[in-house]
Formats: sequence, structure tokens, C-alpha cells
Amino acid sequence: MQDNATTGAMAVGLSGLTKSYDRGRPVLKGIDLEICPGEFFTMLGPSGSGKTTTLRLIGGFELPDAGQVTLLGRDVTRLPPYQRDVNTMFQDYALFPHMSLRDNVAYGMKIRGVGAAERTERAQQALDMVHLDAVSDRRPSQLSGGQRQRVALARALVNKPKLILLDEPLGALDLKLRREMQVELKRIQKQTGITFVYVTHDQEEALSMSDRIAVFSEGVIEQVGTPQELYERPASRFVARFIGSSSILGGEHGCAILLRPEDVRMEPHGYTPTPDEDILPGVVEEIAYLGPVTRCQVQRMETGACVTAMVPSRTARTLQEGMAVVAVWAKDVAYPLPR
Amino acid sequence: MKGFTTALLMASCCTALVAQAHAADLPGAIGKGEGDLNVVAWEGYADDAWVKPFEQQTGCKVHRKYVGSSDEMVALTRMGGGKGFDVVSASGDAALRLIFGHNVQPVNMSLIPAYDDLMPELREPSFNTVKGVHYGVSYEWGPNILMWNTKAFSVAPTSWAVLYDKAHAGAITVPDNPIQIADAALYLAHVKPELGITDPYELTQPQMDAVVALLKDQRALVKKYWALASDEVDLFKSGDAQVGSAWPYQANTLRAAGVPVQDTIPTEGATGWADSWMISAHAEHPNCAYLWINHVMTPKVQAQQALSFGETPGNTKACAEMDAQQPGSCKQYHANASSAYFATIKFWKTPMKACGNGQNTCLDYSAWQRAWQQVKQ
Amino acid sequence: MTGGRKLLGHVALLLPPFGWLTLFYLGSLFILLLSAFWQVDPMSGDVVHDWTLDNFRLLVSDATYRIVAQRTIGIAALVTVTDILLAWPLAYVIARKVGPRLKLTLLVLVALPLWSSMLARIYAWRLILGHDGVLNWFLRAAGLPGQSFAFTNVALWLVFSYLWLPFMLMPLVSALERIPASLLDAAGDMGATPWQTFRTVIFPLAIPGMAAGSVFTFAVTLGEYVTPMLVGGAGSEFIGNVVYANVGVSGNVPFAAAFSMVLLVVIGAYMLVARRFGAFEGA
Repeated sequence: MQDNATTGAMAVGLSGLTKSYDRGRPVLKGIDLEICPGEFFTMLGPSGSGKTTTLRLIGGFELPDAGQVTLLGRDVTRLPPYQRDVNTMFQDYALFPHMSLRDNVAYGMKIRGVGAAERTERAQQALDMVHLDAVSDRRPSQLSGGQRQRVALARALVNKPKLILLDEPLGALDLKLRREMQVELKRIQKQTGITFVYVTHDQEEALSMSDRIAVFSEGVIEQVGTPQELYERPASRFVARFIGSSSILGGEHGCAILLRPEDVRMEPHGYTPTPDEDILPGVVEEIAYLGPVTRCQVQRMETGACVTAMVPSRTARTLQEGMAVVAVWAKDVAYPLPR
Repeated sequence: MKGFTTALLMASCCTALVAQAHAADLPGAIGKGEGDLNVVAWEGYADDAWVKPFEQQTGCKVHRKYVGSSDEMVALTRMGGGKGFDVVSASGDAALRLIFGHNVQPVNMSLIPAYDDLMPELREPSFNTVKGVHYGVSYEWGPNILMWNTKAFSVAPTSWAVLYDKAHAGAITVPDNPIQIADAALYLAHVKPELGITDPYELTQPQMDAVVALLKDQRALVKKYWALASDEVDLFKSGDAQVGSAWPYQANTLRAAGVPVQDTIPTEGATGWADSWMISAHAEHPNCAYLWINHVMTPKVQAQQALSFGETPGNTKACAEMDAQQPGSCKQYHANASSAYFATIKFWKTPMKACGNGQNTCLDYSAWQRAWQQVKQ
Repeated sequence: MTGGRKLLGHVALLLPPFGWLTLFYLGSLFILLLSAFWQVDPMSGDVVHDWTLDNFRLLVSDATYRIVAQRTIGIAALVTVTDILLAWPLAYVIARKVGPRLKLTLLVLVALPLWSSMLARIYAWRLILGHDGVLNWFLRAAGLPGQSFAFTNVALWLVFSYLWLPFMLMPLVSALERIPASLLDAAGDMGATPWQTFRTVIFPLAIPGMAAGSVFTFAVTLGEYVTPMLVGGAGSEFIGNVVYANVGVSGNVPFAAAFSMVLLVVIGAYMLVARRFGAFEGA
């Protein structure tokens, strides 16, 4: 990874990518993106936003209508998948049902003519890494979903590619397994230093794992940034809404401001704010007890403006629906959304 | 007659089988028709030309099943315990098998007026009469002929040799029938007299080996072995076959369809058939069966049958009727001088272990069937 | 208690079909097996119930039957290979290359001949291949020498391949349809060229489809006798024709039964092989 950094070439460079299916609706309307070597990069967005298509263009499974794809500075736009030094973990894992786990993992090596002994050894090591070495003779149909997922990971890792593409790999797992695998994936990515390009529609997953995130919406990238940047300084209403929960208030001069609920506190009716504070007087519309915190929605009857606050449950005991209250926040936490 | 000796030999070893034939079992009169008649016959033997008048006269509705070989005829009459048919037009080689297989019953000739008009050779021939008991009424007879398409032959062939001639490879057709071995034996009897073949149906193993060798060589030249007369007609129509062994029936049919074929009895002579109408031992419509036999034995139907199939009637009174229907046809089909012509044809009979010379070294029909399978492969 | 009654119910439900199958199917198979050890009296045509191995002895000693069996198996195998080769490109296009509407059209076109009588289709081939047939008419019009495939084993091979092609095509199409597109992506992703992907992924995964198709092209061809009778020539006899001749013409059921046993053993062995390759695994 070091040598890539010194040459300065991006792991992935996308410029002006467009793509549409069936001469109809465009799926990608011009994607520009640079992904650094060794990065855990996530493409986040709702379904149909173009994130998976972008991934498939990087992998070479589809060709763009226009634009360019570079991998480590090399233009691969028109190259087929087998000429790109990329490995992919597919959403359905895409394990070969007619091969044992070992043969699945060793497939790429076999194709490239690696000797049988070396192949077996490396495949066994890769399976060892995902704790499946004991069952390497089995067929994929004999495995659970979580196990298949780990085989797919081993298969993607065993060729030591510069780049691994992951297409919603945890989508089919239950919540507990999902959490475990998130940690596992992150650990392996750090350990190997391989660039991960990860597609998900789960913003929590994206925030917890990624070095940087690109937020997709309707075929364009709304924003690229670190999880903190996206959360704290979203570039658009869409990003603000999609990442975390938030309240958006119409500010002065038609400019909208964003409030994160954890920055809002509740005061009794008649509270006078300090010069550093802004307030929204109103009534409690809804209270939801979430354990450590309680979510509380305050609405101002006259304007319909609405603010959500997340307050420690201990301090929320007196709140009742219909109660007149004042929602309070420090002026400097209100983030003016760009137009 | 040699055939008679054979029949005697067979009869003596199978007396138990035919012992039930007593005059007492014979019907004394022909009753009213039962309304239906099941016929197993050679193709062309139950033509509408005489079936329709029969149905009108007797009220017996005729149900036909056609066959292309004696073996098929025997198999068909034995199916379902022999209850599936009332009358069958068995050739000599099938008739004895049907008699010894209890498949047919004795016929009371006093109920068949035309019996008295039959040519003498056909009144009690060995193939349908055993120990003086009649099991069938002789019907018509004819030769297996050599037929060719005149477009392919500038000179008319006169010998069976053309069927073994490489010059006609891929254009030859012969019947798919074990009795066809006799045709080759007849030919070999002429070209290889040292084999000592005297009767083409009485072959020893060495003679059979020679015949099979000839027929195996012929297989490479054969386009197709025909199973039904209509198959051969199709083969000549499509041009796939240009020369072959046939019945006069195919030649007549093809000429009627405008295919330029000629036929002849080659110099070596010919095998042939003499058919008898026989009544099933389990006939459900015996009255219709007798009515049918009497109908087809009339000079008119005898003549119609002879002309449509190209054969010779058994009823000597058919000659005038033939000339009436088609002038000159009586002479053409030898109906006027039948006895001399009759002697030139080697009629189909079932090959048996007992040779005509009192030896038991000949091959029986099951050996012929196996040999034929070897020929066809 | 209820479990027991339920089981009893299942048994009662299965008894009629299974009893029927056992009685008629296995029963007649058993009689076939038995009669192979009997003989027939050549004159009367009666079956003689004396135990004998003569039928089998004749099958082994007479080269004729070995030749017939070899021809039958050989042509069936050739037809299978031919149909696999013919079916692949078409099945691949239908399964993976065309849209749903064209796919439906193509499948209907493939199945269309099956709605007409098999005999009619066989006769049509006689008209095509005949000496004065359609094919020669075209060849002569083009100034080429005529062919004489009619009533040869070549004709038999052509007609069989034609008759069973849809039966190879359909299972192959469905096998190819069932291969997830992601598997092909995955193979390419790991460096396999399209040809390598075909060899290592598509072909092995289509084997059950080919095995299912071969049950028709191979096993059904083995048991055929109508097609050889109609389009075969001298030296085109199949096992089925010898069996047919012995039953329907010679009336020698015991020998026919003995030869049928050979056929049954070959087909049985082939079914086991086909099952091994997944021919009968659910669609």
C-alpha cells in the first residue's frame, strides 16, 4: 500500500460516469469520485440511488455510457472484469455450488495457474482466517448464511487484491451476526491494508465502519466525507435526513438550519434563553421512551415548525404529551444547511 | 407330392394335436349371419369391390386387418387366444402352423359349392388338408416376381441375379420375411448346383450357410427390406428403389399410379404362394365365415381378386369372368392352363426338420427366422 | 395417537397408486424376467414352460445380436452427443441472451413440433431425404450431386437427433436459467476469461440439465423401434425391432423377453449414471 501512496495514484478514480438501462431512466447522472489506497470507503444510499451500479462499473461487470474508471492510475474503463485487479464479495455471495469451499476459495488461483499444492495451502489459510478451515471439504449448500458469507470473504481475500468491492455483504444476516461481522470486516481491512469499497443502505453500518462515505441519491453523489463531516456538516437536506435523525428549521432569509436531537434540551414553559441560545416554544407532540434516552417532539402551533429532542430519560420523567414546553439549543450547534 | 409326404410325417408326429378333427364336429348347414366378420388377410384381399356387396347381401359387417408376411399373419391370429378373428387368408407356409397350433377349425366342404370347381391340385393340397381333413378352402395363387423401374433398365432383366448385382447397390428392395431365404436358395440352386439344393424350403446347415452368405452380401446392396406391400410401392414411387422382389399386386398398383415398372418371372423360376381361407377355431361368427368363403369363391369375386392382385384363381370357372372383366386376362394369368403353370412355382411352405428325402437334417422354421435375423443384422 | 392415525391415513392414501404400480408394473416386469427363461414351440407357437438358458445362450453366441445391440447403443450415444452440441448454442441464447418475449416465442417454436404427430414428422423426413425428395431437389437445383441418405443409419441418426432435440433443449435451458448471473460475475471477477467461465462454471452447472435431456436422447432412443422401421434401411435394426419381430411376427415372446432384459439392464445402468449427474434433481 505504501508504494501506491508514494506514486500518488488513487485506488479508484471515477470521472463523469453515466449509465442508463433500456434507453430509459438514467441510473447514474455523472459520478466523480476518488478513493484513496488503504481506505475503507462506503457508498451509501437508498435502493435505486446508483451505488450498486457504480460498484459494478468499478468491477467491470457493466460498462458506463460515458466517463472513465481508473484503478491505481490505470484506465480500465473498457476492460472486462478478468483484466482488473479487483475482487468482489457479492450480495448473494455467488459461491460455486458445484465446488467444495476449498475449491471455491482456490478458484482464482487455479485460473491463474497457481500450482495445486500452493493453491490448497493458501485456500486453507484463508479459510482458517474466517474460522472455516475444519469444513473446507463441504459444499456451500451445507453451510449457514453466515458461514457462506465468510467463505465469500475468504475467496475475495485469498488473491490479495489491491481492492475489494463489497456489495451489501451483510444484508442477509440477522442483527447480532451483522454486528459481529462489521467488527470482523473492519479488523481484516485494517490488518490487510486492502482498499475496501463497501456498498450499503444502512447508515449506522456506514458510520461505524467507514473511513469515508459517499452518499448517493438518484444517480448523483450528494456528498463525500468522513462520517463526522457527513453527520455534523451535511451538504444537503437529503444527506441530513438520510444520516442520523435531525430537525430542519426554516432560518432567516429562507436559509434552513439543521438541529441534531442530542443538541436540543427541554425547558419548562416560560423559559428565558441566554444570548447564546435559540428556542422554540411549543407543545409536546410525541414522547418515545428508548431506554437511556427519551425522544420528544415539540411543535409550535402557530408555524407548524417542529423540533426533535433526545434527552436523558431521567430528566424526561415530568414530560407529558400536550404539555407546553420550550425546546432550547446553543446557537453554535445550529448548522445552516447549504442551499 | 413331396409336400404330402412332409405333411404325413408331421401328421404322424402330431396326431395327438389334430385328433380332435371329427366329421361330427362340422357344422351341417350355414345359419343366419351373426352380423360381424373379423378378417385377417393379405393386403388387397378384402377389397371394397367385393366386401361391400357381401355386407349388403349377408348383413355381416367386415372388419379387416391386413398383414405383410406369413409370420405376422400367424402372430396376429394367435393373439388373444385366437378369438380376435373369424377368417384368415393363410398362405401355405402359415396354414400348417395354424393347423398344428389349433388356431383353425375343419371346414365342411359340402357347404362350399365352389369346391367342386377348384382345380384338382387345390382340392386337398398338403398345406390345408391333413389326414383327409380339410382345414381351409384354397383361394388363389401366384408367383413372387422380379419388378423394376424401366427408367433404370434399358434391357429388361431376366434373372434374379440383378438382385445380387453390385451395379444396383442402394436401389434394391426385397421383402422383410424369413421365407425370402427360399428365393435366394432357388437362385443358388441354379448358379451353384454343387450345393445340391433340390427344394428351396428344405435346406441343410451347409446349404443354409451358403444362402445366408449370399444374402449377407446382398444386404449391402439393399436400400430397404419392405414389410408391407405399400412400403415397396412408396420406395418405387420415391425412386429410392428401382428393382426388387415383389408381388404382382405392387406392379399393378404402381402402374396404376403412373410409375413405369415392368415385371417378370425370371428364368430360374419363382417362389410363390397358394392361399387358403381358414376359419378360426374360436370363431365367434362361423356363419358369416362360411358365407364369406362362399362369396369370395364365386367366379366373379375370384376374377376380381385375380385381376386386382395379379394372381391366378383357384376356381376354374373364373376364366370366362376374367375375360369379361378384362379381355385376355384369363390367358395372361394362366387361368386357362393352370395345371402346367402351377407346377413351375415353388409354393411357400413351412420349413421343417424333416427333409423330403426322409432325412431329418433340414433346418426348421425357427432356424430360418434366426438366419433371417443374421442376414438383416 | 394422532400421529399413528395420521400415518395410517398416509398409508391408506398411498396404497392404491403403489399397489397398482407394484401389481402391474413390477408384476409384468417379473413375468418378462420369467418368460426369458422359457421357450416357444416353433410349430404350434405355444410357450413351453421348461426352464432353459437357451435364449441367453443364443444372444451371446450369435454375433447378430451383439451387432444389433452395439448399433442401438452406438446410435443412441451419437444422437445424445449430437443433440447436446445442437442444443447448447440455442439453449444458451434462449436462457441468457434474449428478453422475456423473444424467449417465450423461441420456446414455443421449439415446442411446436411436439404438438404434431411423431409419425407425421418421421414421414416428413422420408419426403425430405428420399431419392426424389426435397433435399435432392435443392441439391440438384444448385448443381450439386444428390445424396442417398434415405433408409440408412445416417437418416436414422438425423431423424432421431431431430425428434429428441427439444427434449435436450428444454432441460438445458432450465439448467442454464437457474445459474445465478452473480456466479458468472464472480468467475470473471477472479480472473476467468469468458471461455474459462464457461468451462469451469457454466458447463459443470448445466450437467444435470444435459443428464436429464439425455434420458430422452439416449434412453428413449435405445428403446425405439418405430423410427428404425420407417427411416432405417438394411442394417438399421434396433434391439426394439428384433423384440418387435419376435413378439409381433415370430411369436417368440421368450426370446423377445430375453433381449428386452438386455435393454432393461442397459437403460437401468444408464439411469443410475444419469442420476449420479443430477438428472432427476428438482427443476
